[in-house]
Amino acid sequence: MTLVSPQAAVIDQVIKEFPSGNDVIRVLHGISVGIDYGKMTMLVGPSGCGKTTVLSILSGTLSATSGTVTVMNERLDRLKNDDLVRFRRRKIGFIFQQYNLIPTLNVAENAAIPLISDGVAWEDALAQSGRMLDHLGLGPHKAKYPRQLSGGQQQRVAIARALSHNPALVVCDEPTAALDAASGQAVMALLDEAADDPNRAVLVVTHDDRIFSFADRIIRMEDGRVIDDGLSQSLPQKV
Amino acid sequence: MVTLATQSGQRSYLGMIGIALKMLMGDPVKYFGLVFGIGFSTLLMSQQASIFVGLLTWGANPVLDVRQAQIWVMDPRVKQPDQGQPISDQSLYRVRSVDGVAWAVPYARSAATVKTMQGNIAAVTLVGVDNQSMVGLPEENLANSMAAIRGRNAAILDGNTTHLIWADGRDPIGEAVEINDNRVVVTGLTSSLTNFSGLPTLYMKYSDAIAITPPERNKLSFVLVEAKPGIEPEALAKRITEVTGLKALTRQQFAAAGTQFIIENTGIPISFGAAIGLGILVAVVITALTLAMFVAENLKNFGALKAIGVTNRQILVMVLSQALLVGFIGYGIGIGGTAAFLYFGQADPSLRGFKALGEIVGGSALLVMVIVLSSAYVSVRKVLKLDPAIVFRG
Repeated sequence: MTLVSPQAAVIDQVIKEFPSGNDVIRVLHGISVGIDYGKMTMLVGPSGCGKTTVLSILSGTLSATSGTVTVMNERLDRLKNDDLVRFRRRKIGFIFQQYNLIPTLNVAENAAIPLISDGVAWEDALAQSGRMLDHLGLGPHKAKYPRQLSGGQQQRVAIARALSHNPALVVCDEPTAALDAASGQAVMALLDEAADDPNRAVLVVTHDDRIFSFADRIIRMEDGRVIDDGLSQSLPQKV
Repeated sequence: MVTLATQSGQRSYLGMIGIALKMLMGDPVKYFGLVFGIGFSTLLMSQQASIFVGLLTWGANPVLDVRQAQIWVMDPRVKQPDQGQPISDQSLYRVRSVDGVAWAVPYARSAATVKTMQGNIAAVTLVGVDNQSMVGLPEENLANSMAAIRGRNAAILDGNTTHLIWADGRDPIGEAVEINDNRVVVTGLTSSLTNFSGLPTLYMKYSDAIAITPPERNKLSFVLVEAKPGIEPEALAKRITEVTGLKALTRQQFAAAGTQFIIENTGIPISFGAAIGLGILVAVVITALTLAMFVAENLKNFGALKAIGVTNRQILVMVLSQALLVGFIGYGIGIGGTAAFLYFGQADPSLRGFKALGEIVGGSALLVMVIVLSSAYVSVRKVLKLDPAIVFRG
């Protein structure tokens, strides 16, 4: 019998140091955090507190100096580089602050990139990403190019790209930072829906307090340490 | 939601190549910049190399024009076909006496000036060919040439260069010219390969040619020799030298000597080498810079792709496929331009006989591919070393 962890991702006693000239700067001081399935977890805190570093380590794009990183029962710190890249491609969805859509690919092609890079035939990948775009209300925009869309629409395309391969962990770096309030709310509503899936965890790094109401759990960080973990009483309840 | 079973290996690379080509062609400024940059440099390299080789061949053409003889015998000081250093008439008989010689005939080649009946003067190369065998005449229209040259002081002329004697474009057959106060009548036209001097070539019987040239002790320029069946021309040439003390070279050796003379004694290799080098430089600079700019401008996108799970190998294939595409199209345009230049240039007598040799076509292709692939590799190294977490750093 396989014991399935209730947490999609766990980092334990993680330290991260960056070289700076002859010195070393420690940005994470033995941090331990778990990310639950079926929930939207927000990682918040002032600039430079280390929240993006945590996100990078959890998503396998950055290695920890020490400590363990486990995502979906897989120790990322033990994976070889090629295996780590393959793991990211198949298990994790990424949403970036600046959308990072490829300007010369249309909406459907952008959303299909994780599938195409994993060897899904072009037509099948477009069909699958197309269904996700339809679900996110972007069906009429499939043939358009990113420059023809608003910021909110572009971020929705990025969400489609992140979800097109049905990942178990979705990591979002400041997903609403470049959006107006209404667009930000719309994007968060979609992420909230994605987080309702009991087989998926959503981690959002943000300092945009307008979207805190979407969180199931908020982890506060300061100076490379977790200072609070839970839904603060002072925050509005989840909508 | 239905998750399609993923396919590994080749299909993922093919898919990423599709994305790479869309990324490239979606940026028309860089795409066309690369294609035309490579096209221009290919044109420069292959066209200049073709002209260079064509010019070198001019030095060999007086020898290559005489297809009937296997060996050329000459004064030991002669270095190339247009360098006239007469040898004695007895040389002909001494060569004929060498064991292994099937036949040996005289061949005179000298500079002369013709004066037309209209009062024009022009420099020509006067060639005297053996009265009986006519060995030394160009192959083209040989039977007619042999018939036309039989009469006394009859001459046949290279039809490609008649405009250098009669600028009015008249038909020269039947025209009389004066050479050293001797009347010579043009009785036929032939087509000889272009030679380095660029002068029209006038062919006469050997006896007529030496009769109208200024008096000097010796007038025989070369002895043309055919080896007996089963005798290697190289071996016979050595034997002729040993027996007569004259220089004897096979047709190929003497043609190569004509080419070598141009390489060693003119500025052609330097000037054309510089042009070809410039073509290579243009290709390197345009390709390397544009590809580097393209990669640099897409660094964030490549970073995002790496974060999403695109492997370094896939990114390498993407950038190399972009480079190969512009390389193929650019090369096609460039080599097509060279082919068109040479094809339409055949109408111009100064470009007659120039052609893009297989070595030039293949060499240009190889050079272009080496340049684009190495430029692509240099550009992509930055992406391969790129930390995918960069995409989270704003």
